[in-house]
Amino acid sequence: MARSAAAGIPVTDAMERLRPFAPLLLLLVLVVGIDVAEPGFASLTTLSVVLSDASILFILSAGMTFVIMLGGIDLSVQAAASFASMVLAILLPSIGYAAFPAAVLAGLVAGLVSGVVHVKLRISSFIATLATAGIMTGLSLLSADGRTVAFLDAGRDQSQWITGAWLFDIPNVILIAALVAGFGMVLQRYTRFGRYSTAIGAGEPAARAAGISVDRYKILAFGLSGAFAALAGVLLAARLSSGSPELANQLLLPTIAAVVVGGTAITGGVGNIGRTVVGALIVSIVRIGMTFVGVDIFAQQIVFGAALVLAVCVTIDRSKIAIIK
Amino acid sequence: MLKVDGVSKSFGSVRALRDVSLEIRRNEVVGLVGENGAGKSTLMRILSGTMRPDAGELSVDGRRVVLSDTRRANEHGIAMVFQEQSLLLNMSVAENIHLAQEKQFTRLGLLARRRMIEAARVHLAKVGLEVDPTVKAGELNFAARQMVELAKALALEERTDAPLTILLDEPTSVLEAKDIDVLFARMRSLKSRASFLFVSHRLDEVLAISDRVYVMKDGMVVAERASDASTVPDLHAMMVGRDLHSEYYREARQAPPQGHVLLEARGLSVQGIFRDVDFALRRGEVLGIAGVIGSGREELTRTLFGFLPQTAGSLHVDGAATMLRSPSEAVAAGIGYIPRERRTEGLVMDLSVAANVTLAKLDVAMSHGLIAHARERAIAADWIRRLSIRTPSSAQVCRNLSGGNQQKIVLARWMTARSHILILDHPTRGLDVGAKEEVYDLIRDLSAEGIGIILTSDTLEETIGLCHTILVMRDGAITARFDAAAGAKPTQVALLEHMV
Repeated sequence: MARSAAAGIPVTDAMERLRPFAPLLLLLVLVVGIDVAEPGFASLTTLSVVLSDASILFILSAGMTFVIMLGGIDLSVQAAASFASMVLAILLPSIGYAAFPAAVLAGLVAGLVSGVVHVKLRISSFIATLATAGIMTGLSLLSADGRTVAFLDAGRDQSQWITGAWLFDIPNVILIAALVAGFGMVLQRYTRFGRYSTAIGAGEPAARAAGISVDRYKILAFGLSGAFAALAGVLLAARLSSGSPELANQLLLPTIAAVVVGGTAITGGVGNIGRTVVGALIVSIVRIGMTFVGVDIFAQQIVFGAALVLAVCVTIDRSKIAIIK
Repeated sequence: MLKVDGVSKSFGSVRALRDVSLEIRRNEVVGLVGENGAGKSTLMRILSGTMRPDAGELSVDGRRVVLSDTRRANEHGIAMVFQEQSLLLNMSVAENIHLAQEKQFTRLGLLARRRMIEAARVHLAKVGLEVDPTVKAGELNFAARQMVELAKALALEERTDAPLTILLDEPTSVLEAKDIDVLFARMRSLKSRASFLFVSHRLDEVLAISDRVYVMKDGMVVAERASDASTVPDLHAMMVGRDLHSEYYREARQAPPQGHVLLEARGLSVQGIFRDVDFALRRGEVLGIAGVIGSGREELTRTLFGFLPQTAGSLHVDGAATMLRSPSEAVAAGIGYIPRERRTEGLVMDLSVAANVTLAKLDVAMSHGLIAHARERAIAADWIRRLSIRTPSSAQVCRNLSGGNQQKIVLARWMTARSHILILDHPTRGLDVGAKEEVYDLIRDLSAEGIGIILTSDTLEETIGLCHTILVMRDGAITARFDAAAGAKPTQVALLEHMV
């Protein structure tokens, strides 16, 4: 096999060992590179901006990481985030703080529905989540005739726990993302759900033959993805003080990019939430950094596309994948 | 004439072929027999160009050839008819016959469909198959597809001047008796235009159709015989190649079962597959199920583990009626399964040894609702020691371990889950002799602990050697039941009578 043949060559061997750290190295190179090109980037102020941006992206990607690790995809995250922002904005005046968990719950339920459709009706997750995304977008649009719903003053006050900076001037959004990351890591490493998700992604027939209720854990993963997407939508809404049916548009691709750039294989099995933290940071830095060094807003898409291909190439050994689909 | 001279091939430490030499003369049908793992398939892959030998030479009509891929093998007149048929079911018969050979029908880059269909008709006529070349291959039955494969192989005649050699890998395993007769009749009539290398487990068939037979064992050709001067028992003795001594299967350790019934089937059936299966598996008993492909025995084992839910009858685990709708329900009922497909169903290859050991019952490695990694490692380390699993550590990824060690990890999983009924689905497939003997020892250990075992195996010899009781299945029903107590084992011939 190609692997054993390559193992004899020291250079390839070293590259193999470095590969898992490639995203981290890429992150460092980016920060240093941008700072050299445009001194001042590596300052606390910019860092705070980058981290806040990356926080939302990371929370969107956190649930998606589990879904992708299981070998599926969730195309409904941006719709779920927007939908949650509408639920929040509409419910805040009447039920106050309870609107926050209600919005997240809405995302959880939507995710579980996607999961059930995918697993029980045996429809690929690509289609199932595309469909639920459509339904959620429709509901968001119908709920306020397609308009944005602004928070009232009370709503702004109630969003303080998101928009504030209670600890050493660190925006609370960043702390919330850190909590989500910690939660995700525990979930992955120390729980039945995490272990089984990895097993199912790496070898579904074997996981099934070991007696794992594969269907149940797949549905749970989609529920988790929906809930995290909704949480991201809630955070976005709080920062903008409004809910909008189009709030999270344009965030689906960066979300998938964050997961994949971090080194989680889109084919499933390999990956973890820690990698997605790095992936989200890379995507955010590329986006913000380009503005910082003055890359034309239209040209940014080109750089972004090229960076995505490069990142995936270096993080995963493509030669081990037999068929690319 | 196709000649194989001193060919060897290894996979890691396993020597699949050792200095193999044989020849296939013009207009000859040559049989190739051997147990599973004897090296037949590897040899076929080398001849068909899908695998390269490590050493040795191939020659056609005295000229040395290198078969670097299928196309090159085709150029030298060698074509393979695959066991797991290779037709693309969504394409037409004509398209299949000319797959990757469309160039002869193209003009200015466009395909002349009519000419291609006409050419397909010619090839189909050679094998006497009367089907419309425009129908999809998927609409044909197995027997007809096999004939299309044969026609596809014969289409080579148009493209090469080399004498044609057709490799047939277990062509009869999926065919019914009347279709086998048709296939053999075609082979006899086609002998004037091609030679055949015929691989089959059914020794009587091999003798009936072949002019000469090669016998392989442990990667070597151990005998060459003219068919009319051999008998089935002769061939069999050469394939097995050792005196059947009871020690090999640890017969001395076969203790009588201890009474209490663990698993009982009453009139168990799956619509259209098998019916009215009755048995009672006792503590410490090894119950074998024998039968040819299509007898329903594979499906029966799948049903006992919840993969294929029963449609009638009942299953009783420890005396309680139990319905197994999924493997997870079977595991919950205390049943474990060691699958035939170790690499896909046995282990999650990219997980660690430890994670695979605890996969069926993660509870044992959990405390306060979370996985305690140190405890998990300790559990795995314990099994590594008790089953002498050769691995650098419990953190090692299973993919890098040998087949025998992988099999032990699957077993360790079910021991960890405290399964008291184990279904062993071809547990020694693909293992070398040493690893097989370790598995036999383990089976006796499990019996001694009171675990009930349902066994299906690649060879009758293994089934007879290991089991207390043997059920023989044919066409979905149990046709015989043998007591196989130590020292009073039934013969293979006795079982065979009820299998075919």
